[in-house]
Amino acid sequence: MLAEVVKQPETFAASKDSGVAVCNVCKGFGPPDAKVTVLDNVNFNIQKGEFVSVIGPSGCGKSTLLKLVAGLSEADSGSVSIDGKPVKEAARAKSIGLVPQSPALLPWRTVLDNVRLPMLVNKRSNAGRTMRDPEALLHSFGLGNAIDKFPSQLSGGMQQRVAIARAFVFDPAVMLMDEPFSALDEMNRDKQRMGLLEFWQSNRKSVMFVTHSVPEAIMLSDRIILMAAHPGRIAEIIPVDLPRPRDEAVYATDAFRDLEGYVRNSLKTVMRQVHV
Amino acid sequence: MSNFTNVGMATAGEGKKTSLFSYRVGAIIASWAPPLITFFVVAVVWQLLAISNPFVIPTLDAIGSSLLESPQMYWANMLVTSQEIAIGAGFGILCGFLLAVIMAELPIVERAVMPLMVVIMVTPVVAIAPALVVAFGFGMMPKYIVTGLVVFFPMLVNSLAGLKDVDARALDVMRTLNASRWEIFRDLRFPGSMPFFFAGLRIALPLSVVGAAVAEFVAPGQQAGLGSLLTIAAAQANLPVTWACIVLLCVLGVVLVSALAVVRKRVLWWSDQSIVGR
Repeated sequence: MLAEVVKQPETFAASKDSGVAVCNVCKGFGPPDAKVTVLDNVNFNIQKGEFVSVIGPSGCGKSTLLKLVAGLSEADSGSVSIDGKPVKEAARAKSIGLVPQSPALLPWRTVLDNVRLPMLVNKRSNAGRTMRDPEALLHSFGLGNAIDKFPSQLSGGMQQRVAIARAFVFDPAVMLMDEPFSALDEMNRDKQRMGLLEFWQSNRKSVMFVTHSVPEAIMLSDRIILMAAHPGRIAEIIPVDLPRPRDEAVYATDAFRDLEGYVRNSLKTVMRQVHV
Repeated sequence: MSNFTNVGMATAGEGKKTSLFSYRVGAIIASWAPPLITFFVVAVVWQLLAISNPFVIPTLDAIGSSLLESPQMYWANMLVTSQEIAIGAGFGILCGFLLAVIMAELPIVERAVMPLMVVIMVTPVVAIAPALVVAFGFGMMPKYIVTGLVVFFPMLVNSLAGLKDVDARALDVMRTLNASRWEIFRDLRFPGSMPFFFAGLRIALPLSVVGAAVAEFVAPGQQAGLGSLLTIAAAQANLPVTWACIVLLCVLGVVLVSALAVVRKRVLWWSDQSIVGR
């Protein structure tokens, strides 16, 4: 018992300098006298090379949390750091790769030029960085034939893959993905999800992955952060102890099903709390 | 399955070519016939009215022969008007776009300056023109200013709307990359605003012809121009010359709008296609 108490701060300190650390973060919207709390004292970290999913009912502040980690908005209190540096500094060093909900590709640029875009902005931070070869990256994403096409010529799934390639190309320390597959149909989703899993397993980055899908969260993640709403807070952090590398066969295992049942149950509890 | 269709194609090949050709010709006729018929009907009605009312409107052949009699005079006047449009509208478009850029980057400027712009724009150009003649004389300057003024506002409003209409998620991506303001403008805002910019041009270019003509009505001046020629001819009740000028002003507008359509197709081919999530 004592050993555990001593051990915990140690692991926390070790993780603080690498990966993402979110400490006591609160965030609200609206005027000071009628403030709506969206995030209430949120604490978690993502280790280097760890895949963490954030799941929860709508209104639990998943996307707000992602925006905070991306440096797109600021916490009212608490701190967010990436590799031990404040988010703003991490953004200046181009350490954050963002995959938004929609592909958000620039329609006037070819697929290749869209993927190159991160290399062409904030060039000062390019020094000493090993960029991936955009063409090779697109080939490994199965987009070899689409390199010179324009986004409008691709299917939704392919566009989203281009958006993921755009986030991987400059080799950021942290990847933030905001429901990247939510606009796709279920079959396409599954395909894109397995593609991402395969690529990530050979290119481990710290990933924060916001999703609505329980199977998706289990299949991809090392840990699942389950959030509750009103106010948004962390209800539970669920470790996913399935062995890696994973593939489609994992869906059929008992361990996967047990975990899925457990996560669904926890979600149900969280949802019930909202209504009471 | 593919074999089957191939065989079908091969046997029908000869007949297919001719039917495709006749189909194309048919399609061309189908798309051009309605407007041509409309023009033809209008021309016939015009001609009948002109013959029975010789002191109100000229016959079409009188307008035509007037144009053919002194092509140099018309050409010279058309060049003057074109110059007014090129310089005046060019400057107005540039200023409208530049002010829109400043307003989009600095919202305080929009709040400070936009009301003044609206006041200027609701003031009828026809009323401003004589005042400008008093200030700048009968030379080209008041014509440039009036033409530029007419073009300025639609360009300002449309460009501003375009610069503000950025894909919010693409902007998020740029901001996490810590892209500078200039980089966001260069790679996102500017190219993204082009559909609105061209929509502005579609309104502004025909207006620029109106602006140039109105300026010339008010201040005929020594440089002439189609508008000046028109006022002089109308004062002398010279119907063929009056209407020849109107026709040429009309041609000028059509040329501008057609040229714009060609340029737009080359520059903005991407904006007519849909993108997921937009």
